[in-house]
Amino acid sequence: MAAVFRAIFGYLFLILMVRVVGRRPGKQITPFEFILIFFLGGLTLTGMVGDEVSLTNAFCQIITVACCHYAIVWLRTKSPRVARLFDGTPLRLIDGGQYRVRTMEQMRLQKADLMAMARDQGMKSITDIDLAVLERNGEISLIKKEEE
Amino acid sequence: MASAGDVATKPVEDLGHKIDGAVSVGEDLEFQERWWKFENMVWSIFALLLVLDLLGVFGRGWAAKAKADTSDGALHVRYERIERTMTPSVMRVRFGPNAAVDGKYKLFVSASLVGELGNQRIAPEPESSAVGDGGFVYTFPALGQPAIVSFSLEPASPGIYHWKIGVPDGQMIEKRVVVVP
Repeated sequence: MAAVFRAIFGYLFLILMVRVVGRRPGKQITPFEFILIFFLGGLTLTGMVGDEVSLTNAFCQIITVACCHYAIVWLRTKSPRVARLFDGTPLRLIDGGQYRVRTMEQMRLQKADLMAMARDQGMKSITDIDLAVLERNGEISLIKKEEE
Repeated sequence: MASAGDVATKPVEDLGHKIDGAVSVGEDLEFQERWWKFENMVWSIFALLLVLDLLGVFGRGWAAKAKADTSDGALHVRYERIERTMTPSVMRVRFGPNAAVDGKYKLFVSASLVGELGNQRIAPEPESSAVGDGGFVYTFPALGQPAIVSFSLEPASPGIYHWKIGVPDGQMIEKRVVVVP
């Protein structure tokens, strides 16, 4: 019984942590972020499992986490507000060839992150970008300036 | 086989505002500003929780440690007023010089110390123990000072528990322990 509640708490707490720690471009997870992910997962697991190491407990907790995940996914599809809460909204990082400075700072993104993404998409210069959008899944979409 | 008429359809629409053929992004800066405020608040709370934890407000630190004595000096107890679930801690009971009777120290502990607070071990082991009156009376041979008995506690579940400890027919110390999850 308590293990199920611990699993729910652990899952929701991890969602909050990941959401608060920030969206970073998925293709650019640095070694620091790998460490963060492993630590968050490992430490949450310690509290969730406690001293109940039985297979039954693992089975029940996995089902609990799966049900929580399903419920959140279902809520996200039903309510745009819930979707916005869990995923955030897309954010313009470059608009009309101009950096959105506040958005970049608040999302803890550097120009180098955008440059790396530009190179990844075959662009030679960051000045070629007309619009850069930090998507809800953490990817950065780049749209080139139209050729004159 | 279902015909094409059975398939429900909906017109495709852009989610965000689209002006002059611009890309529809669906950005909601108003929401995002609120979210950043919330994030800043969460970081402040995290920092506060960390400071409180370092101080021992959630157990295992300076603020959690406590002392209690009987006014006649028979017992001095060092314990943790905030414990953590399934986490070991030690309660130390020191007998005063006047606590020995007929070469023996006798100590009453309430049943909650063994039950809710999960006493795992008593060091040194008592010579004898008796049960009754809502607790246990342990007897230890008295060799001299200092005379210290340690209880290894490991509470099984969170809650607020009370314990009582003292020399039988003497003054008792009653305290409350908060066990955090």
